[in-house]
This record gives sequence, structure tokens and C-alpha cells, in this order.
Amino acid sequence: MEERLYDLIFICMPTTPEEDIAKIVATLEQAAAERGGKVEKLEKWGTRKLAYRVSKQREGYFVYMALRATQGELIKELERRLKVTDAVIKYMTIRLDEEIKRQQKLVARREQRTRRRPRRPAGPSSGPSPSPTPSPSPAEPAAAAG
Amino acid sequence: MSETASPAPRPHSGPPREGGREGGRPSGGPGGGPRRGKRQFFRKKKVCRFCVERVDFIDYKRVEMLQPFLQDRGKVLPRRMTGTCSKHQRWLGVAIKRARNIALLPFATEL
Repeated sequence: MEERLYDLIFICMPTTPEEDIAKIVATLEQAAAERGGKVEKLEKWGTRKLAYRVSKQREGYFVYMALRATQGELIKELERRLKVTDAVIKYMTIRLDEEIKRQQKLVARREQRTRRRPRRPAGPSSGPSPSPTPSPSPAEPAAAAG
Repeated sequence: MSETASPAPRPHSGPPREGGREGGRPSGGPGGGPRRGKRQFFRKKKVCRFCVERVDFIDYKRVEMLQPFLQDRGKVLPRRMTGTCSKHQRWLGVAIKRARNIALLPFATEL
């Protein structure tokens, strides 16, 4: 079965102590592992100002995770747990594998085109540059193999 | 609205117009002047920033990248103001909306 890639971001109350956050993360990791999921990346962005008030808070503690899973059920379960946790004020899961596939296809097509038509050396920002964005996918073509 | 509502300086604005394949719009003629009714052409033949940089994925997590594409009030700027190509404008919209949902960008701000 093909593996899916997800981005999961959740925001905790800014007053949440470190250990609670670690606990939440551990719970999620464990739940993921139980269902054949894997945490690819974990980033704690710390306290940031929110663009609008959420649960009467103006700041929040952001945590970002990238997950690989084969079961969609896992996401439901994770979200359920986050919903139940009082400290978590907002969460969002995004499924990214389709996008990554498309992105890779574009890159592949562009490479092909470049090979066929040698590009004239242009200004500062050209060249076979990889996209400068921190794309959440690791650079495996595994997802594209489907 | 004032005349130059251009949100941010454009570092890549010296357009290496590469074959016009991706992004380089067949820009209209004299694109100068403020908005004066519907007769106006595209102002300042801009190229799509993303096409120039060959960006493949507009990351909703990178607020600094998205911020220049919003008005002061938090609204998404139209393509003709930013010079973005249609494909990237769509992706941009998706990214902005995602960022809004996760409180990285505002839905609306008071002027």
C-alpha cells in the first residue's frame, strides 16, 4: 500500500510547560507507531504571535510534525487525541503526498525540457536550482513510484 | 487606495526572460500610470516571482514568503498587482488559506 505523507501542526497554550508538550508529542508518536505510522520530522517552533485570537490567546506554542503513514485512520486518531487535549487550542493536518508527486513530476518535466533545449545562461536567479522552499518531503522518489 | 499599492520590493525584478515558457506574460503595452478605469493595461510588466525562482511548492509554513502577497487588511492581492502567473496564484491562494487556518496569517485585519 502506498505511503502517505502528512503535515501536522498544532498549537498549545503559550503557558503550557515543556513537559506537557513533550507528553503530547510522545502520545502522538506512540499512537502513530501503533498504527504503522512514522514521525519523520518534529519541530518545535516555540511561542509565536498568532495572527488572530484563538481561545482568547494572542500567542501560542507551535509544534510541527511530518508523518508517514499507510493508514488514513491514523490521522483521525491523532486528531481525536489533540481535540481532547485541553492544552491544544488549534491543530491542522494536511496531506501532502499528492502535491509532492505533482511537484516531482514538474521537476522531472522541467529537467527533460532543459536537456532538450539547452538554456542560455540567464541572470542571477537561474540554473538547475532545487526549489528554495523547505519542502516537507525527503528526497526519495519512493512516493512517486506509487 | 493609493497609486502604487505594490506591497514589497522585488529582488528578482530584473527578469531573465527565458523563452517565455513559464510565467513571462505577454505583457501589455504601456503599463504605466495609476488605475484609471478599465482601460488600464498590466502595470509594470512584472514577471511571476515564483516562475523566476522556479519554485515548485509554495509552502504555507513560510509566512515571510506569503506576507508580501497580502494587503494591509489581510486580503489576498490580485494577480495583476503582484504579477504572479495563474498557476502560482492558485497555489499561493491555497497556501495562504492554509496559513490562515493555522493562525499564521490573518483572515482580516483592522485598518
